[in-house]
Amino acid sequence: MTPRDPLAALFAAPAGASRGGSPAVIGAVALALVAVVVLGGPLAGSEAGLSPYMVNLVGQLAAFALLAVSLDLIWGFAGILSLGHGLYFAIGGYVIAMHLLKHGYETTGTVPDFMQFMGWSEFPVYWFGLELFPYALVVAVAAAGLVAFVFGYVSFRSRVGGVYFAIITQALVYVAMLLMFRNDTGFGGNNGMTGFSVIFGYPINTPGAAMAMSAASLAVLLAALLGTRALVRSQFGRLVLAARDDEVRLKTLGYDTLRIKLALWCLSAVLAALAGMLYVPQVGIINPRVLSPELSIEIAVWVAVGGRGHLTGAVIGAVLVNALKFWLSTNAPELWPFILSGLVIVVVLVLPNGLTDLSAAVRGAMGRTGRRAAAREATP
Amino acid sequence: MFSRLTPLLRGLLGLMAVLTPLVCGEAAAQGAGAAEVPLDRAAIAAGLCTDAGDTLDRAADALGDASDDDLAFLRRITDALMGRNLVCGETVAIKSGGGTVDALTGAPADASGKTPVLNLRNRASAENLGAALTLLTPSSASDRDRALRVLARRPQGVSAAALARAAEAALDDASRAAIEELAVVASLASEDVSERIAAVEALARTPNRRNLGRLEALKGEPAYEGDTAFRDAVDAAIGEASTWVRIADALSVLFSGLSYASILFIAAVGLAIVFGLMGVINLAHGEFIMIGAYVTFMVQEVLRALAPALVDWYLILAIPFTFLVTAAIGVAIELLVVRHLYRRPLMTLLATWAVSLFLVNIVRVTFGTQNLAFATPSYISGGFTLIGDFIVTQNRLFAIVFALVVLAATWLILKKTPFGLNVRAVTQNREMASAIGIATRRVDMLAFGLGSGLAGLAGLALAPIYNVNPLMGTNFIIESFMVVVLGGVGSLAGTLIAALGIGQINVLIEPIWGAVAAKVIVLLLIIAFIQRRPEGLFAAPGRRK
Repeated sequence: MTPRDPLAALFAAPAGASRGGSPAVIGAVALALVAVVVLGGPLAGSEAGLSPYMVNLVGQLAAFALLAVSLDLIWGFAGILSLGHGLYFAIGGYVIAMHLLKHGYETTGTVPDFMQFMGWSEFPVYWFGLELFPYALVVAVAAAGLVAFVFGYVSFRSRVGGVYFAIITQALVYVAMLLMFRNDTGFGGNNGMTGFSVIFGYPINTPGAAMAMSAASLAVLLAALLGTRALVRSQFGRLVLAARDDEVRLKTLGYDTLRIKLALWCLSAVLAALAGMLYVPQVGIINPRVLSPELSIEIAVWVAVGGRGHLTGAVIGAVLVNALKFWLSTNAPELWPFILSGLVIVVVLVLPNGLTDLSAAVRGAMGRTGRRAAAREATP
Repeated sequence: MFSRLTPLLRGLLGLMAVLTPLVCGEAAAQGAGAAEVPLDRAAIAAGLCTDAGDTLDRAADALGDASDDDLAFLRRITDALMGRNLVCGETVAIKSGGGTVDALTGAPADASGKTPVLNLRNRASAENLGAALTLLTPSSASDRDRALRVLARRPQGVSAAALARAAEAALDDASRAAIEELAVVASLASEDVSERIAAVEALARTPNRRNLGRLEALKGEPAYEGDTAFRDAVDAAIGEASTWVRIADALSVLFSGLSYASILFIAAVGLAIVFGLMGVINLAHGEFIMIGAYVTFMVQEVLRALAPALVDWYLILAIPFTFLVTAAIGVAIELLVVRHLYRRPLMTLLATWAVSLFLVNIVRVTFGTQNLAFATPSYISGGFTLIGDFIVTQNRLFAIVFALVVLAATWLILKKTPFGLNVRAVTQNREMASAIGIATRRVDMLAFGLGSGLAGLAGLALAPIYNVNPLMGTNFIIESFMVVVLGGVGSLAGTLIAALGIGQINVLIEPIWGAVAAKVIVLLLIIAFIQRRPEGLFAAPGRRK
């Protein structure tokens, strides 16, 4: 790894102005938001504008992008790779699914199918109050934050890091998947939860609702990008970088690295949970498969493809990989795994910093200096 | 007993046996057994029509020394009674496929008359008699099994003589043992106390859960209160049997834990070597296991085509091929991918994940997604009872022996070869090893090949006992991680102890709370353990990341 002077990291600007997100991508996200609202708006009544399918696709991609940003925050900036971020995504997803089912229950009066199979005629006690969206939001954020805090605290305190941490997070998400596959937990078992009918009192399967959810996803993504960009450029962000590059020295300087890492870790988990809350209403289902280790690794793949340590890189990676997946899984489903594995190997071997290397190379070819690419080489 | 006598004596006895009936006539015939007292078939046939219960009991008492012919007749008529094919008219007749025949003569008979209905008690007697007759007359293996199960429910319904005769007529040792056990159980209810005590002692000699239950049931009988000798015998037998049952239980838990640990160990040992050496978790490790199983399958198919006589030995013959093929694939992947990523272990994680995705899909496209069909060689099927309920199944035994061989071979390679010395040197301190002239890159390559080859052997060991399909590797990778993380980097002993620990914990927890809980608890234990020792059980000295 390239040794980096932590004092430089503390007092100089973070390496590269583009670190923390290039304005171009933020602008693109904003533009997409406007496009969905303006072009998607009329489709509630007419044939013009984006098709509901496209609007929904944009919304799903935005949710995935937010998930990638959440992982990039902790992996790219603190150097902590989580191979279990699907856990927090699933927490958000399950809570919003519970909210939607409880909300639907108010109009239909029947409990969800999976509870009828279990012979339950009313909701278990831990579903209490979830029909209120603000409460559901609080529950999702608190649950994700709490799980992240407990797990992060025990791990960071004993300085579990690197490969060990990645493995344990993966085992955690795997165990969570096994638990959720059981039918008696009250979360739908292996079939998961589906059959959402209403959201905020509106029928969920209308073009208007799709547009609103898509716009909400884009808006949250935009807000998260701007917020995390400000965060990583702040004093706190510099401390995070310093903790990544030389934790011992930062400790010697009197900083509590445990708190720094833990705060960023919990924030990352909460963002992942928000992504889950945005994603599930748009696809209309959640089941334990979101907890499979494969999905959690794929999140890391999105970030690696886009380029770690650049929040907008995570967005680009998530959008690119998932758009490719959407397109190929209808046109050439058997080809997709080969393309994905090839893409990852090429990126990892040839473009260590993901597609940002490509843009740097292009910029270099256009006559600008490529010094930043060199400076960014290989963080742990 | 006869076999122990000298041939001369045997000849003498045989001569006597021929002569005695001539001399002693009627009297000796009683003792000599079969075929001497002709059954009163007419009375029995008539009795079944009027007073089935008593007639059935009488017939059951006669089983011990009825002639084969009589037995065949009894079986015919009992089967007819139970199948509601008995017709009680002018004469007693049996309905059969073609028509109605006289029960005694077999001549065509009048089909009119009523069919007797069995009451509950008589039906039990009839079933018992039918089952005993099934054992005594030629019948199919499945009929015999069914008959044994019927008798096991009511062993007292059949006379000791009949059971002894059935045991003698048994076709194989297993069914003879089963019938003899029935006889013991039957004599538990005998009226003769000394016979009961003998039976109690006999039960204590084969201590298993079922016999313990039978012994404990005796405590509720009046004889237990009344007869001290009987009570002492029962108490002693229960004490002895329950001790052995507990020992057998503990042994079988230990054994299944050991066999699970063996699989875990073989699956994880290659991962541990690679991890210890390069600090890299090879996410494609599970796919090497899968490929090992597929190579084993191909060896089996080749043998099936070229040398069918050797198919039974495919597991043994495949060992070198499986190892070499997976090791070669491992070396190729090391050269193409892993080699370029030493300084970025987390990126190796992603790259090897991509490799695993690629391998899974190559295999899926080539072989399809269905499970492969493996032959079960004779040496890994079945098992034998060691003590009580402790049955040593041979496939588990094979896994354990195989793991021991792998352990020994790995230990020898790491401790006794120059290559192993280099591996240990690079594991402990890469820079220093490099400085004294060890070609660390070459060591990495070969060690990666060794790790992959060991994974392939894990696939071989799993092939006949596990579902082999392209996705099987993913099921192992996380558990292999657990072993490696718990065991510590690159430590053979650590891997072994971690595998044993996780295997035993799983086996202890699974029966109580289920497989999911076992995995949760193992994970929590590992997280808790890593709190205290972040580098695992046996951290290799000098290596800190």
